[in-house]
Amino acid sequence: MDFSIALQIFLSGLNLGCIYTALGLGFFIVYNVTRVLNLAQGEFVMLGGMLTVSLYTAGTPLAAAIAISVVITSLVGAGIYRAVIYPARKAPGVTKVFLTLGCAFIIEGIALRVWGWEFRSLPAFFNTPTIKFWDATIFGQTPWVIGITLLMVIGLFLFFGRTIHGKALRACANEPLGAKTMGISIERMALFSFILAAGLGAVVGALITPLTMTSYSMGLPLTAKGLLAAFVGGITRAEGVILGGIIYGMIESITAGLIPGGYHGVIALAILIGILLIRRRGILVTAGKG
Amino acid sequence: MPFNVRDMIEKTGRISSTNQQYLAAGMFTILIMTIPLGAGAYPNTVMIEVAFYSIVTMGLIMLTGFTGQISLGHAALFGCGAYVSAILTTRYLVPPWPALFLAAGFTGAIAYAVGRAMFRLHGLILAGVTLALNLLFYYLIGSISGLTGGAMGIMNIPPLSVAGYTSQSVLFNYYLLWTIAILLLIFSLNLADSRFGRALRSINTHAGGSEEAAQVLGVNIMKYKVWVFVLSAVYASIAGSVYAHYTRIIEPNTFMLQFSALVALMAIIGGRSSPWGAFLGAGLIVSIRQLLREFMPLIIGGPTGSYELIAYGVILVVALLFLPQGLFPIVKKAILRRKPVSQ
Repeated sequence: MDFSIALQIFLSGLNLGCIYTALGLGFFIVYNVTRVLNLAQGEFVMLGGMLTVSLYTAGTPLAAAIAISVVITSLVGAGIYRAVIYPARKAPGVTKVFLTLGCAFIIEGIALRVWGWEFRSLPAFFNTPTIKFWDATIFGQTPWVIGITLLMVIGLFLFFGRTIHGKALRACANEPLGAKTMGISIERMALFSFILAAGLGAVVGALITPLTMTSYSMGLPLTAKGLLAAFVGGITRAEGVILGGIIYGMIESITAGLIPGGYHGVIALAILIGILLIRRRGILVTAGKG
Repeated sequence: MPFNVRDMIEKTGRISSTNQQYLAAGMFTILIMTIPLGAGAYPNTVMIEVAFYSIVTMGLIMLTGFTGQISLGHAALFGCGAYVSAILTTRYLVPPWPALFLAAGFTGAIAYAVGRAMFRLHGLILAGVTLALNLLFYYLIGSISGLTGGAMGIMNIPPLSVAGYTSQSVLFNYYLLWTIAILLLIFSLNLADSRFGRALRSINTHAGGSEEAAQVLGVNIMKYKVWVFVLSAVYASIAGSVYAHYTRIIEPNTFMLQFSALVALMAIIGGRSSPWGAFLGAGLIVSIRQLLREFMPLIIGGPTGSYELIAYGVILVVALLFLPQGLFPIVKKAILRRKPVSQ
C-alpha cells in the first residue's frame, strides 16, 4: 500500500481513536465511582460543543469560551447528580441508568429550545491551517484533538494514581464500605465524579465541533459510541477504555479507507460488538474481576 | 439474590385471575371500538399513534418487564419491519399483507440470530450493546441506499387493504390498528400466565427471580431470553409494517435512538409488570405530547419538540423516583377496588 495512504489512515484513526477514548473516559469516571451508567454523558459533550460555539461566535476568545462551557457543563453535571441521582442512590443500577436517560431527554429538549435544529461548527482551534505531511493531509484540528486527549489522559492517570482525592474516588468504587470507614464521603465523591465527567465531556464537545459539527440531537449517538468503546476495552480499567477507543477509531478509519461506499460506520460497530461478544467484560478485564 | 416466590409474585403483579383478565380485555375492546363513534378525526388520529406505540411497548414489556432484559434498541426492530415491508411492496410488488408477514418473519429471524449472540452478555453491557445495535441499523439504512433510499427514505408505499377494501380513512386505520393491538394484548396476557410466561418471570432478577435458581429448576435461560426477544421483535416489526403502510412514506430518522428511548420510557411509566402498562404508558405520553403541541406554541413559542423532550425527561425522572412500578399497579387497584387475590 502507498505509504502516504497508510499514514493518512493511521492519523485519522488516531484522531478518531482519541475522540472515542475521551468519550469513553467520561463513562469510566462515573461508572467506577458510582456504578452508574451515565446515558447523559453524550449530552455533556453536545452541551460543551454548543456552548463553545455560542460563546465563540459572540466574540469570546476561544480559550475563554471553552473554559466557560466546561464550567457551565460541570455545573449541569453537579445538578444532575444532586437533583436526580442522589435521591435515588439506594435504587438498583437499572433505575439509575433510566434516570440518566431522563436527564438526557431534558438536556436535549433545552438545547433544542435554545439553539434550534441547526448544525453548528467552529473553525479549527486558533485557525490552525491544514498541514501537508508526506502527502498526507492533516486537518488543523487533528493535532489539537490528539494533544488535548493525551493531556487529559495523563492528567487523569496522575489524578487517580497520585493525589489523595483521586485515590479516594477509586476507593469508593473498589470498596464502598471500606471507603466510608476511612472517612471518605461517598456522596461527595460521586458528585465530584459527575462534575469531572461533565467537564471532560464539555472539552470533548469543543474538540470535535470543528470536525463533525454539533447539533442538539447528537448526544445519544455519541453516548452509544463512547459506551461501546468503553465496554470493549473494559469499563473498569482506564487502560481498557483507552485501548477500546483507539481500536474503535483505527477500525473505523481502516474500513473507511479500504471499503468505499460509506459502510465504515456499520462495519466498525459490527466488529466492535463482535469483539465484545468474545471478550464479554472487555479486552483488558480478566474474568471474575469487575 | 435470594429466590422469593412471594416477592416475585408481588413485583410482577401476577395476573389475579384469567377470567378477570378476559373481562378487562373485553371491556377495553368495547371501549376502544366505540370511541370513534363519538370522536372526531383528530382524536382518532391520535389514538392510531397510541396503538403503534402500544404494540411496540407491549413487545418491550415482555422482554424487560417479564424477563428483566433491557433493550434500548427497539427502534431498529420497528424500523426493520417498516423497511422490509416498504421494500417488498414498492420494489418487488409483493402485496402488503404477505409483505407484513414476511417482514415479521425476517425481523424475527434477525432477532433470533442477534439474540443468540447478544444474550451471552448481561445487564448494563447488554443495554449498551442494544443501543449500539440501534445505531448500527441506522447507519446500515444510510449505507445500503440503493435498497432503502438512504436519507430520502421510501415513498409511495401502498396502503393495507382488508377483504378488497382499501382505505386511507382515519376510521379504517383506527379499527385495523386497534384490532391488531387487542389481539396482541390477548396473546400477551395468555402468554404471561402460561408455562412460557412463568419461565420468563423466573429469570427476571429485577422482580425477585434468579437466573441461577431458574437454571437449577431446569429453565434453559438462553432459550427463553432468545425466544422472548424474537417475540418482542415480531411485535415491533408488525407495528413497523403497519406504520409504513399507514404513513406511506418512511425515512431513517424515525428509527433513531430517540424512538427506542421513548418506547422504554412508555414501558417504565405504564408499568413493566403487565402488557396493560403499554397502553397506559403510550396513552399518557402521546396525550401529553399532543397537548404540548397544541398549547405550547401559543404560550411560549419555539419548536414544540423541545417541550416534548423536556416533558418526557421530567416524567421519566419523576416516575422513577416516586412511582418505580409505573401506573399499572395503581390503575389496577383503582379498578378492582380491593386487595389482590391472596397468594
